[in-house]
Amino acid sequence: MTSAITRERQPAPRIRDALELVRIARSLRRDTINLVAPTGQGYVQQGLGAADLFAVLYFAELRLDPSDPHWTDRDRFLLSTAHNTAIFYATLAARGMVDAAAVADYCKDGSVFEVNASERIGTPVEATLGSLGQGLSVGIGMALTARRRGSSARIYVLLGDGELQEGQLWEAALFAGSAGLSNLCLIVDDNRMQVEGHIDKVVSVAPIAEKFSAFGWVAEEIDGHDILALLAALDRARERDKPTCLVAATLAGKGVPSLEGILAHNLKLPPDVAAEALAALGDAEEAK
Amino acid sequence: MSEKQSLEVLDFNARSSAAASAVKHYGEALLEAAKRDERIVCLTADLTLPTETDLFRDGIPERFHQVGIAEANMIGIAGGMARGGEIPFVHSFCVFATRRCYDQVAMQIAYPRANVKVVGVIPGLTTLLGVSHQAIDDMALMRALPNMVVIEPSGPAQVRAAVAAIAAYDGPVYLRLKRADGAEKAAEAASDFKIGEMRVLRWGTGGLIVACGMMVDIACDAADRLAGVGVDVTVVDMATIKPLDPALVDLARKMPLIVTAENHSIIGGLGSAVAELLMENDVHVKFRRVGVRDTFAEGGTTSYLFEKYGLSAGALAATVREAAKSAAS
Repeated sequence: MTSAITRERQPAPRIRDALELVRIARSLRRDTINLVAPTGQGYVQQGLGAADLFAVLYFAELRLDPSDPHWTDRDRFLLSTAHNTAIFYATLAARGMVDAAAVADYCKDGSVFEVNASERIGTPVEATLGSLGQGLSVGIGMALTARRRGSSARIYVLLGDGELQEGQLWEAALFAGSAGLSNLCLIVDDNRMQVEGHIDKVVSVAPIAEKFSAFGWVAEEIDGHDILALLAALDRARERDKPTCLVAATLAGKGVPSLEGILAHNLKLPPDVAAEALAALGDAEEAK
Repeated sequence: MSEKQSLEVLDFNARSSAAASAVKHYGEALLEAAKRDERIVCLTADLTLPTETDLFRDGIPERFHQVGIAEANMIGIAGGMARGGEIPFVHSFCVFATRRCYDQVAMQIAYPRANVKVVGVIPGLTTLLGVSHQAIDDMALMRALPNMVVIEPSGPAQVRAAVAAIAAYDGPVYLRLKRADGAEKAAEAASDFKIGEMRVLRWGTGGLIVACGMMVDIACDAADRLAGVGVDVTVVDMATIKPLDPALVDLARKMPLIVTAENHSIIGGLGSAVAELLMENDVHVKFRRVGVRDTFAEGGTTSYLFEKYGLSAGALAATVREAAKSAAS
């Protein structure tokens, strides 16, 4: 029913050029390194791994109006893994939704740009998550409200594969499937990493897509770094009468060869590694 | 409904013929509020009849959400709805609406000051079911959350007034309810109910009883008994446990002793709140708490449990007399 509603405005740039989105993602990776480097605080591996998801969501998919952050029919984005903020804040700043100069105080005492994103920041942070497992429930509430009010808003929830170990997530998955919330899209950042290391050495959550399918969702497994695949999957999600779960395989540290594949939840970023990472991302830019 | 189905419903949801025919004061008041304000939505976790939300379900089905047996998810959904401008009333038993989903209430309702009303039924020692369903710490838990208002009305009229008041109040509220079972005394006039304002029900200089919820009627019984032996006490209905009415301070200064009465643990609830207020205002007075004394209880009839755990009018009156003797010595 939501898909039948005509959106009264589409202020997003809606970039469909994959190469441009690749460039944006690389720029967001550099911003992520630059945010974390001064204090060594913040989540590097997860940010680099999710950069392509953020680039596609914020520059191609989400209907947002930076000049009107409270626009009722805006799409909602919920970062359930709310600690993954270096990439999140870098994206909000690049999208013009928060002040880039203020974001530069990331993780410093007194800054609203804390490690875990909270509503202190304002509307770009739609809910205070980070106590893992809660984001999908909040997204369901937003999806139900949009449906009841005839709003065209779609709700996007990004969570981590490790987060699927939280029981509340499955309460929410069951409900969303049962209620047929077609305006809800869940993206699982499937980076195989949690605090204790590789997810399969803790508690395996595989197979993720099959689980969501069984709960009444349409679930797709995609490469979380394949921009074209992400665009196409998000296009398909908008046309369904069921909630969509995209299981996006991502690589921790993606884009920085010396960091790729290191499953360090709390990786500290020494200055020399930060410089090396920026050089790698810069070189990649020049190579294009 | 077949006779067999009817029996099943009565066994779990009502348990007595008096309750079966009792007026749904809460359910009616919620429906009335929702008819006035189209932002009000109703959520329940498989407990529609016990929370009287069948009236809402049947009256405004498009704003009623059955979420199944999943309280944490229900709270998260309500938080999401509130951020979109709805006013969700969420319903369960007191234990499951608070302790079961405490982190969700903290993060999705209290912290963002979401306009969600958490409504629990079965307060304290009022269930046959036993320890799993007894809420003896819910007020303590909710009181500890910044931004949360905590209200326990004392009777049907106050329930109705409280529902109207919290619907009009912009912010998170925990409403702790004892459903009417038809055995209530004639309701006190409560049309002047205001969030955060105590009501003085009777005057006396021999002491002060501060009560909430079911303990208000019991406090009045105790006051009658005390009057019979020449002790006239003041009885206050403190329906808002948080924020606590600061007017209590001046009243307390005039009293030789204070006894609080709550259907809840003596730790963290009304008694604790009153003690904190008075101590921080240098009111040094004989002070006693009547409530569940740091123990888990078992299932049973309310009258049995209130007698056993010291929540009866007799126990309350005895506590006042003991404090009076202590004060005089």
